[in-house]
Amino acid sequence: MSEPTATEPVNTGQIKQLLDQHKTKMKMALRVCAHCSLCAQSCFLFNTREQDPIYMPSHKFINSIGRLYKKKGNVDRQALEEISEIAWKRCVLCTRCYCPLGIDIPEMITLARTICRSQNVVNDFSAE
Amino acid sequence: MVKAKRKPLEELKAVTQPYQRILNVGCGGCVSVCLAGGQKEVLVLNNELNLAFKNENQPNRVDAYTVERQCNARHLRELERIVKDHDCMLSMACGAGAQLLAETFPDTPVLPAVNTESIGIDREVGIYEEKCRACGECVLGYTGGVCPVTRCAKGLFNGPCGGVQDGKCEISMDIPCAWYDIHGRLKNQNRLDNIKQLQMVMEWKNQTQRTTIQEAYAQRYASSK
Ligand code: SF4
Ligand code: SF4
Ligand code: SF4
Repeated sequence: MSEPTATEPVNTGQIKQLLDQHKTKMKMALRVCAHCSLCAQSCFLFNTREQDPIYMPSHKFINSIGRLYKKKGNVDRQALEEISEIAWKRCVLCTRCYCPLGIDIPEMITLARTICRSQNVVNDFSAE
Repeated sequence: MVKAKRKPLEELKAVTQPYQRILNVGCGGCVSVCLAGGQKEVLVLNNELNLAFKNENQPNRVDAYTVERQCNARHLRELERIVKDHDCMLSMACGAGAQLLAETFPDTPVLPAVNTESIGIDREVGIYEEKCRACGECVLGYTGGVCPVTRCAKGLFNGPCGGVQDGKCEISMDIPCAWYDIHGRLKNQNRLDNIKQLQMVMEWKNQTQRTTIQEAYAQRYASSK
C-alpha cells in the first residue's frame, strides 16, 4: 500500500472502500444521533471555545464522516481539506465525549481522519 | 509533549535489511507535532529506504500507515488487516507507542525508527526543548517553575552548588545554572523563603515502572498495580 501525494487526484474508490468497511457503525451513528447535544457538555474544546456549536462533538462527526458518508465518498480535495479542518483542528481525540445513545464519536472522527490520511490530506504541523 | 528524532537512514536500512515486507507505522500524536514520525515523515523515510534498496537492485518493500496514536490500543485495531501481510514493522512513535505496537502484535518484530528524547516544549517549528524528566514528584511549586531535575546538571534539590559562576553552570559557560534562574524567579516573585526550605531527597520513583491511576478510578482498578 503506497500513499498518494497531495497533487494526485482523489481516489474516490479507495474512500468508498474505507467507508464500506465501517458502514454499519457509521450508519448507526448517523441514524441514532438525536441531536440532544449532551455530548457537547463533555467536550472541553466546546466549553473552552465559548460553546461555539461548531465544536459540538455531534456537529463535528456529522460534518466530517457524515459528509463523506452522504456523498458516498464522491468528494474532491477541497472537501477533504474542509473535513480535515474539523477532524484535526476541532477535535484532539481525547475520547472524553459522552453520548447517552452510545455513539463512539471519537471513533467516527478517527475514521474521518483515516479517510483524509488515505488521500494524504493531513494536518500540517510544520505550518508557522 | 514527547519529543523524538528520527534515526539515521543507515541504521534503519541495516535493521530492516533481513525483512522483505516492511510496514512503517507513523503516529498522529506527539511525533507528528515535533515533525519526527507523523504521516509526512513516514512517507519521507519510506522514499529514502525504498530508494536505498533500489540502488542495490533490491525491490521496494516498505509500506506506510499512520494511526492517530500508537499509545492507545483502540487506534491500533485498524492495523490488524494490514500487519499480517508484513514480516516486520518500523514504529515512528515514541518508545511508549512502539511498545504497545509490539505488545499488540507479538508475532511481528517492531523496530523503532525514532529516538525518543524528551518531554519538552515547542520553542519554534523544528526546535524543541526538554523541560521535564517525569520524576514523579514535581517540585516546580517551590522552584519558581524551573525544573532542577531537568536543568541542573547534578539534579540538585537544594541549590545552587559552589560551581555556579556568573549565572552559568560549572560544566560549561554555555549552560545557564538552573538554581541561579530559580533564585532569580523566586526573588522576582518575593518568594525567596522557598529556596531556604530544605528539600528532602527524591525517591526516584522512575527507577521502577509506574502506572498512573487517577483518584476517581482507584476503585475500578483496585486489583491493578
Ligand atoms: S474526542 Fe474530540 S469531540 Fe470528543 S471530547 Fe475530545 S475533543 Fe471533544
Ligand atoms: S505513541 Fe508516543 S508519540 Fe504517539 S501520541 Fe502516544 S505518546 Fe505521543
Ligand atoms: S520536577 Fe521536573 S522532572 Fe520532576 S515532574 Fe516536575 S518538571 Fe518534571
